[in-house]
Amino acid sequence: MLPRLITTALCGFAVANALAEPPPSTIDLSKFPAAAVEDVVVPVPSEIFIVLDKLGTPNWKGELRDNLGTNTGNRAQIALLLGTVIADGFIAVEAEDSEKVKQIGQEVLVLADGINVRKAVIARSKSITDKAEAKDWRAVRSELDGALQDVRGAMQELGDDELAQLVSLGGWIRGTQVLTSIVGQNYSPAGAELLNQPELLNYFARRIDEMRSRNLKKEELVVKVRKLLRDIKPIIGKDTITVENVQKVNKLTTDTVKAITSEDQ
Amino acid sequence: MNRRFLSLSPVRVLIALAVLCLTPLYATVDDALSFAHECAVPYVKQGFTIREDAWGGDLGVKDQKAVTAQLFKGNEYWFCMATDVKGAVINVHIYDSQGRLAESEAWQKGRFAAAKVVPKATGTYYAIVTIEKSPQERTHWALVYGYR
Repeated sequence: MLPRLITTALCGFAVANALAEPPPSTIDLSKFPAAAVEDVVVPVPSEIFIVLDKLGTPNWKGELRDNLGTNTGNRAQIALLLGTVIADGFIAVEAEDSEKVKQIGQEVLVLADGINVRKAVIARSKSITDKAEAKDWRAVRSELDGALQDVRGAMQELGDDELAQLVSLGGWIRGTQVLTSIVGQNYSPAGAELLNQPELLNYFARRIDEMRSRNLKKEELVVKVRKLLRDIKPIIGKDTITVENVQKVNKLTTDTVKAITSEDQ
Repeated sequence: MNRRFLSLSPVRVLIALAVLCLTPLYATVDDALSFAHECAVPYVKQGFTIREDAWGGDLGVKDQKAVTAQLFKGNEYWFCMATDVKGAVINVHIYDSQGRLAESEAWQKGRFAAAKVVPKATGTYYAIVTIEKSPQERTHWALVYGYR
């Protein structure tokens, strides 16, 4: 019954489509920036990991870290660290390492506690652990995406939007470090093209530049992250991203992840 | 328990009910979002994962809005848009960073519209949403997208 309903609905849509006016083949994008809903929609990590899956079978276990970092009590550091740890959750899923996923689920809770959003991720953390136990990897990915959004949502409710941006940035930096490591080990232009994210880089840079909290903006780690974005932009602005540039981005992101996970804050 | 509410006289209750009946029922973005998720159901069955976050607002007739997204070559995406305004006609189309139409499929039927894109290159894309017709001055809309 349901498949028939869906087929009928899709046929209906196809007929409706045939009657609709065709959209223009080109538009003037300069008319839209002021009317944009938001600067840019930040992709969820699983969008990138799905592409990586299709590119081959990288050594995901080799990308896992033994030390997920130390919580120094500095809120900017905790937010960035939380982003990197959630990104590690995706790597552990790719490596199908259920113990590591469970450890990461616990670490997410501890870090969320450090920025007052523990309540928002308790259910997710349990679900991550349960689904990792059942080795339902697709569901774990979905829960990790959800955890990231829950944390951001809860922080925005607390008026910590700027700190919430740092969670996204932490995830992006660790994700980019791993992406460049994998692409660098088995270079292909198609793999390197995943780094073509100029608007996303501009968006993150603007979020830091527009931070209202001067203290947060001046935090040593935030300054480092801003510099990272500035350094990466010209490297990935080329039509084809070379293996040398992939390695440069890897070096830059590795250094920044080290700074985020370090105790020296 | 609200004691003041308990002490309402029958006359006051009648007045309140009359006011409620006379107040037009306004649509909300939440309602539009429910329809957008309904629009995405066939694609979930095809293996698309729908993001938990969504975009929306309200627009006048013939107004447009752009939702900027970073899309990755190797993935397929369906953008599903909806409104809860009966009789409204809406549209969503996907353009690349050069302003070229990038979608491989698109359809619209009344309060639902959707567009599929299989990016030829990783980069910035724009989902342009339009309210073509509507019986209301402002029309709530919502957009979700799924990927696989």
